[in-house]
Amino acid sequence: MDEQWIISVGIDLGTSTMKLIVSRLKLARKSSPFGLPRFEIVERLLAYESEVTSTPLLSETEIDMAEVSMWLQKEYQAAGIRLSDIKTGAVIITGETANKGNAKQLLHSLADRAGDFVVATAGADLESLLAGKGSGAMKRSLQMRGVVCNVDVGGGTANTSFFRRGHMVETVTFHVGGRLIRLRPDGEVTYLSAAIRPWLDANGFKLQAGQTVSFGYLKEVARQMSRSMLDCLAGDTNSTGALLSVNGKVPIMPPVEELMVSGGVGGMLISANPRSLPETAVYGDFGPLLAACLREEARHYPFALAVPDYTFRATVIGAGMQSTEISGATIHISPGLLPMKNIPVLKLDNLEVKKAIELGLQVYDADACPPFALFIPQLQTVTYELIRQLSESLVAHYRTMIPGCRTLIVLCENDMGKALGQALKLRSSGELSIVCVDQIKVEFGDYLDLGEPIRDTMIPVIVKTLAFHSG
Amino acid sequence: MDSLDLEEMTTRIMQELQQRLGTTSEEKGTSQSRINDEFHQQEQLPSAVVESNESFTGPRHNRRNNIPQPRSAEMLEELQAATPARIGVWRAGTRPLTREMLLFRCDHAGAVDTVYGEVSDKLIEKFQLFQVETLYENTENYLKRPDMGRLLTDESIDRLRSGCQKRAQVQIVVSDGLSANAIEHNLSDVYPSLMDSLNAYGLKAGTPIFVKGGRVAVMDHIGEILEPDVLVMLIGERPGLVSSSSMSAYMCYRPRKGMVESARTVLSNIHQGGTPPVEGGAHIGTIVSKMLEQKTSGVKLVI
Repeated sequence: MDEQWIISVGIDLGTSTMKLIVSRLKLARKSSPFGLPRFEIVERLLAYESEVTSTPLLSETEIDMAEVSMWLQKEYQAAGIRLSDIKTGAVIITGETANKGNAKQLLHSLADRAGDFVVATAGADLESLLAGKGSGAMKRSLQMRGVVCNVDVGGGTANTSFFRRGHMVETVTFHVGGRLIRLRPDGEVTYLSAAIRPWLDANGFKLQAGQTVSFGYLKEVARQMSRSMLDCLAGDTNSTGALLSVNGKVPIMPPVEELMVSGGVGGMLISANPRSLPETAVYGDFGPLLAACLREEARHYPFALAVPDYTFRATVIGAGMQSTEISGATIHISPGLLPMKNIPVLKLDNLEVKKAIELGLQVYDADACPPFALFIPQLQTVTYELIRQLSESLVAHYRTMIPGCRTLIVLCENDMGKALGQALKLRSSGELSIVCVDQIKVEFGDYLDLGEPIRDTMIPVIVKTLAFHSG
Repeated sequence: MDSLDLEEMTTRIMQELQQRLGTTSEEKGTSQSRINDEFHQQEQLPSAVVESNESFTGPRHNRRNNIPQPRSAEMLEELQAATPARIGVWRAGTRPLTREMLLFRCDHAGAVDTVYGEVSDKLIEKFQLFQVETLYENTENYLKRPDMGRLLTDESIDRLRSGCQKRAQVQIVVSDGLSANAIEHNLSDVYPSLMDSLNAYGLKAGTPIFVKGGRVAVMDHIGEILEPDVLVMLIGERPGLVSSSSMSAYMCYRPRKGMVESARTVLSNIHQGGTPPVEGGAHIGTIVSKMLEQKTSGVKLVI
């Protein structure tokens, strides 16, 4: 009665590979039997991991959607789950795949075929966050005082997240990855990513696709690339690592106490020790060499190298196991409205309803219904008088300013969702369909996915933070 | 407001003491001078509290950073934010700091005062509560004889019979219990929110009642007389050092004489620093609707 399991999936469609995991999340009542019910996710079990499969491409610029769908069906079968079992989860398109022509279309069609409430996400910041959650860096930061930095080094990019006491405090993405330089065992460079050209030039490396390089020269490139990035992470603002930053800027780094390296390159960090070109090019790229250099160079920096829980699956594990939150268990939901996907968040500042709705109609699609979800940040004290005024003002302004929409979504940080929801229902004489959930913290510009109610008392929520960037 | 006065007073006393003893900073004083502080303090305190003549109403979460050089200020803050308990208050030798001692005594005095408080007529009128009383006689007797707080006076029984709706779907009863403060502070948030909730579930409430000098089990006696389907009793809890204005909601399906405790459902610790009053009120409505659905309450009720 006081606990329940739900199934969550994570799907990662990357530059070179795709993978999937199935996890089981345990919800349990965490509040006293004499208090208001409050459930939390207390356990996250990894139930199934797919093989890492090559991403099927129709051409250099298009992903083979039919192939991906078939793979998905096969994997669900192997995992022994049906679409209807899946309550939550996330599909992410990572790295350079996100730039492919049909990526967006694919993302949504995938989200639809993966289960009712599997959400589609992309974006380097979110990827960094998920990787940091999946690698265990976030959890680790709760056990110590300092900052834990997770660098997820994959094929094309290194997604970096900084965690302090369980919260991500900064993120940055570098063009550092195993497949930026591809080569044959004889040393012929078959591909060189244009993204690292400015950095190569600044460091005096004369490297071209089609050229044949020596092991020593390539190792020097890998060593310098590791140093540039680590310099940046250590707060050196003059480092040429800034040229590797994806958006060209490097934020002010918090001092790092521990460093974790996840991702494909992270997975090779301990073992990789190539001594020749053929040993380097086992996957047709310089990844193993980059891993070895990162390991060697990291010793010269003030941070300790920590071992991640998961390496090359960190992002997909973060997406499948760590992306879901649970709302408060005293909330108000009009039947039949959920699930809902991709609702943008509008923040209500100083309880100025009219001003907030005006802003919301300007920045978001005013014809959508609902155009946004209204978020009420933490209030010092919640009195009935406040609920009364707030509900009256909300109903009045929503009706006149958005006459075409009868659905109102409200999120509260305080535990007051049921009280406010009921007040809204009464004040609107039942005219508005209301979803009012609480104990969720979001920001202006976030996007939300609200799942189907669990036991009619709470809902899974996935917050897609796209706005997180101070850099 | 009341608590601010007390806090101000404590600060003033501290300043006066420091002047008299010639120490410029509390933190730098020797432990000997602090021990002296405390002796003076204890003599002065009682009269000062009486002067303020207001019962203390809430916890004074003293978040002053008393620890001179915490190893991690952030972590200390995190720990203090996680509990209303008096942690990280520092010490003078083996004893508490004078200020902390005073605050502790203020909270204790507040808890004691609360028991002797009364619910104002204004509040009873505001919600048009039908007033009755138990056999408690007076506070002293109420404390000594819990059994007398469980039965209504004969006059009250007659008044209930003639003036209140019988067999209501939901009967609301409010009682001061051990903390009139709890009712004064929380009823205005819990009651209307509960009414909204009943309204939303399409449930009807009978005549709301206020019982003076009530104990929880007086709900059985009222149940016997008015025979409601569900009775909700909002009652002041025994005051403590964290809060003296905490309220509980006891709920029971068809309460009658001889009801066992396990048949009561309770939502406790309702105050601004505990179970949020407004949301609590809304949740009581949900519990009531489940009781009516399942025709039971207490440990058998599935929420």
